Amino acid sequence: MIRTEFKRGTAELAVLSVLEEGPLHGYEIGRRIEEQSGGKLRYTLAALYPLLYRMEKRGWLRGDWETGETGKRRRCYRLLAQGRKVLTPMRAEWADLFRAMRRVGKVSHA
Amino acid sequence: MRDWQQYVREHLGSSGLGRAEDEDIAGELAGHLEECYESFQVQGLTEDEAFLRTCEQTGNWKELRREVILARQEGMMADRVKQLWIPSLLSLLISWTMLALILWVGIRPLIWHEGPPWSVIVYVPWLMFLPFVGAAGAYLSRRAQWTGWRPYVAGAFPALAMGCVVLMILPFSFIVDPQIVPGLRFASVAAAAVSWVVLPGIALCIGVAFQGMAQKTSR
Repeated sequence: MIRTEFKRGTAELAVLSVLEEGPLHGYEIGRRIEEQSGGKLRYTLAALYPLLYRMEKRGWLRGDWETGETGKRRRCYRLLAQGRKVLTPMRAEWADLFRAMRRVGKVSHA
Repeated sequence: MRDWQQYVREHLGSSGLGRAEDEDIAGELAGHLEECYESFQVQGLTEDEAFLRTCEQTGNWKELRREVILARQEGMMADRVKQLWIPSLLSLLISWTMLALILWVGIRPLIWHEGPPWSVIVYVPWLMFLPFVGAAGAYLSRRAQWTGWRPYVAGAFPALAMGCVVLMILPFSFIVDPQIVPGLRFASVAAAAVSWVVLPGIALCIGVAFQGMAQKTSR
């Protein structure tokens, strides 16, 4: 399992990336990230929701209450144009970081 | 059937952001925990095991509460700036710039009951311009999703600011010149209030009201 300090920095990119595939509610966001990272990235509520609220305030996402097929009300998050705009440079920054760490930290896989 | 909403409310407590915000946050977190709990049960865990595993998902409740409040407040402060402070300061700046221009050009005011200490001074071109300033302030405020009476605060802010100045003059005048007869002192302050607060305030509010009506009609 990856340490909390490392995970914290990755959360923005992870959330934006899974929302790029389509709108999801909070639980689904967490589950998709966990699934796609092979269980390595798992966020608690304390990490996930404050981040979602912050990203919403920045205009990267929008959360709307929706009633699903089961009749349950869930807050569904959608990626907004502003979020899409920050995703590309964010990915480039992470790629730069991985390349740098490969050289400096002798990390074999990034 | 577990009441996750109740569970979240008990652990999270009041955020201090208002009842609607609390309900919104509790509803969302409860929904997350409920989905979690159900998925653990689908995986074959007993009710108690599923409950324990679900509770682990929350992390530290104190941290969650603190972070949620900070995240929500951060937005609220940014909203206040867009909804109140930017429109208010802009309307103040425009109205005072216009007044300074009128004084610079040398347009004479209408003076009712000429002679100190209680003349009501009216710069007619300025008063006629103020509804547009009020409308601009209200437009910016409403565009940032401020509704009800609040755009009036943003639109009429120049008059409110002048009201504060006039209120400060009164006690200050007691210190500067204690000899003045109280009746005259109050009369001069009242005249200043009419000249710089009441009449401009009415003009600004007319602009705010018209802007509101125009916005409703255009929808």
